[in-house]
Amino acid sequence: MNAAPILQLQAISKRFGTIQALDQVDFDLYEGEIHALVGENGAGKSTLMRILSGVYTEYEGEFLLDGKPVHLHSPHDALDLGIGMIHQELSVMPELSVAENLFLGRQLTTRWGTVDWKKMHNTAEQELERLGFSHLDVRQPLGNYSLGTQQVVEVLRTIISGARVIIMDEPTSALSPAEVERLIRLIDKLRESKRSIIYISHFLEEVMRVADRVTVLRDGQKVATLNAPETNVNNLISLILGREVNATLPPAISTSNGHTLMEVNHLTADVFKDISFTINQGEVLGIYGAIGAGHFDLARALFGMYRFDTGTITVDGHRFKPNHSARYAIRHGLAFATESRRKSLLMEEAIYRNVTLPHLNRIGSLTPTQSQELKVAAPAIHMVNVQPPDPLNPVGKLSGGNQQKVAIARWLTFPPKVLVMSEPTRGMDVGAKSEVLSLLRNFRNQGYGVLVVSSEPETILTVSDRVIVMSHGHIVAHMENKDLNKDVLMRLL
Amino acid sequence: MTTQTEKTPEIAASPSKPLISGVWMRRITALAPVWTLLALGIFFALTSQTFLRPVNLNNILSQISTLAIFATGMTFVLLTGEIDLSIAAVAALTGMISAYLFANLKVQEPIPLLVALGTGTLMGFLSGIASTRFRIPTFMSTLAMSLIAGGLTTYLSKGRTISQLPEVSVFLGSGRIGGSNGFRVLVIVAAVSLLVGYLVLKYTRFGRYVYMTGASKPAARLAGINTNVILTAVLTISGFFAGLAGVVSTGRLGSALPAAIPSFLIDTIGAVVLGGTSLNGGRGGMVQTLIGLLIYGTLRNGLDNIPSIDPLLKDVITGIVLFVALVINVLLAGRAPRDKTG
Ligand SMILES: Nc1ncnc2c1ncn2[C@@H]1O[C@H](COP(=O)(O)OP(=O)(O)OP(=O)(O)O)[C@@H](O)[C@H]1O
Ligand SMILES: [Mg+2]
Repeated sequence: MNAAPILQLQAISKRFGTIQALDQVDFDLYEGEIHALVGENGAGKSTLMRILSGVYTEYEGEFLLDGKPVHLHSPHDALDLGIGMIHQELSVMPELSVAENLFLGRQLTTRWGTVDWKKMHNTAEQELERLGFSHLDVRQPLGNYSLGTQQVVEVLRTIISGARVIIMDEPTSALSPAEVERLIRLIDKLRESKRSIIYISHFLEEVMRVADRVTVLRDGQKVATLNAPETNVNNLISLILGREVNATLPPAISTSNGHTLMEVNHLTADVFKDISFTINQGEVLGIYGAIGAGHFDLARALFGMYRFDTGTITVDGHRFKPNHSARYAIRHGLAFATESRRKSLLMEEAIYRNVTLPHLNRIGSLTPTQSQELKVAAPAIHMVNVQPPDPLNPVGKLSGGNQQKVAIARWLTFPPKVLVMSEPTRGMDVGAKSEVLSLLRNFRNQGYGVLVVSSEPETILTVSDRVIVMSHGHIVAHMENKDLNKDVLMRLL
Repeated sequence: MTTQTEKTPEIAASPSKPLISGVWMRRITALAPVWTLLALGIFFALTSQTFLRPVNLNNILSQISTLAIFATGMTFVLLTGEIDLSIAAVAALTGMISAYLFANLKVQEPIPLLVALGTGTLMGFLSGIASTRFRIPTFMSTLAMSLIAGGLTTYLSKGRTISQLPEVSVFLGSGRIGGSNGFRVLVIVAAVSLLVGYLVLKYTRFGRYVYMTGASKPAARLAGINTNVILTAVLTISGFFAGLAGVVSTGRLGSALPAAIPSFLIDTIGAVVLGGTSLNGGRGGMVQTLIGLLIYGTLRNGLDNIPSIDPLLKDVITGIVLFVALVINVLLAGRAPRDKTG
């Protein structure tokens, strides 16, 4: 790579109020290059990319495209200059067809100004075939396809719209391993066709596989830019955190005393069938499954947020009434954090209010005051180490990983008997991941029960005492977490 | 890209320093309804000699008082992101019921008042149950309730106006404290309604649940809030205040009319939304509603005080101003959130 970079950011700084989100960051990108951007939650990755894609227009520093200074005024400007961003949250339209999604916002029209369906379908089919996705039916609603496919369609849309620079912000955080493979193959194809990609991810192994170069951000500053072959995962971890860490928990020593805390019998709904398991006091049970295996809906059902048809749930000797509400579940010692924090948190509300919301009845009579609430919430917020730690900040201003910590802190204030967590570490950096997993571990050590539901094998393997594997709504394996590894789990799917 | 909107104002896009920083811009725009109120006040003070007289200012207060009672209930409903279209009809019914019980059945006070309030509350409760149990949108359930209430009013009244009213209604609607030039009881009733609403929304657990339900139903449910109970409760509250407003307005008019006054509904929603309470729920409150009411009152009264305006055109002008003010408020105060998927 000796040609000039197609894109250069020089000494970029960006403040949000008192927070210096970016501080004199340099970044460049060459044609046909995959440049990974890594760093802790809140390091400034998304912020930098939002500047690049025209979302944030106020910043300091130089932005050069093909050597010429530019200043973007909107995401639309960025796209016109060939810069497309795929955001942390998908922006496809599940009700529209695949073809419509591919041409979203720039439909092909006939001479009379009406939508030219035939041309759109043909072009879509050709493009998909060229990129190796000829199995997609362009007339089907996109919602009929898996999340991974929807993600791919969003990538394809950006490409079809002519982007030379494609920014992917944590594209794989919600994908199954097979879907990750498919995305990586697509990225390799894009590299061959001379597109440049900026790839943000917390999965460092994945980063090492796809990236040509890696830039590490820490606290809004650039720490290093390295050629991928000259570094390794451990080296990246210490650069990201600025210290050595042991990213894995010590192997679990069983603390279970054999007392059953939760018992689920023959639970059945449309997407899961005949699910039975128990959780003992002081035990972490992991339920692993690919996206669509029904395990997330199972977790919701336990908490009264998904209607099930038959079966029983018993927590600490109390048998739940059929079709209980979430309120009922909380009252009887069951807590739940969903895999989608966007759904579970109130983005415009202060952190502490998000933490205390389920517990108001326990905090202050009829009229809880701010100081009463803060007294309860502050220790929990401190325990999960939310950054920045001001409990009065609205949750929406936190970085993705820190929002997840708030969702967990919520259940540390008044601990339930059993804590059910779907994807506890989604979107978290290596450091935060091990922090959260050790929080769960501590929880278990204090004699509570924990159920971890996840599609990330590493998470399940690190934290669970026992593992259940679900596939197509059924339990296909149930075993102690001894001598298990990623391959064994994935082969069971 | 389609997900992100540009938030920063145009001036900020140039490399030079922006004229107004983002924070200040937000502070100024959050107060848009207050500026609207000031602008209208100044405009009418300059164009009309009578507008600023104490008598007239007093008039404004009593003109918006009935509306304020309705608006207290409506604020609760809008904060949850729902709507109550039945208030005008329910008010007509409760006013008629209390008058009918008193005049035709000779029921002694305070029973007519209590029955009227109970009826309003019950109708709100029924709309709430219909909406939560059977998942009928409140838009439809309260519309149906509006028909039922209207029908009952016609049936009871046989189309006749009743002008023999219980003492309480007359006292609440047109009584004065401290002689014939004293303070209007109606204004006090309105102020107390708004104050109670304010305290409940601001300080109680229930108030918090109302906001959270409006901000995001899934998030509220995941935190164990029974959003169905909250929705039923706000509609019940709205029913109660509609009932109260109905009784009070008969007292103010001196008779119970056999049909609803449709402008009550439009004016109430208009005033609440003008104040800055979001139709999507989660944002706003009683202070905003108070400001919205004052804007509304100023506007209506101000037009009366400009003799050159054709009285038949007043509604048109009010409608246009309402429209413009709403557009401005939506553009400024209720900026589109960055994330449109939420
Ligand atoms: N709109 C905003 N208002 C105020 N502060 C913000 C805003 N967006 C981001 N921040 C702050 O800027 C910093 C950088 O956030 P950013 O979202 O770029 O982190 P990130 O590296 O993408 O983290 P993650 O891996 O968790 O997604 C954080 O401290 C965050 O709290
Ligand atoms: Mg991010």
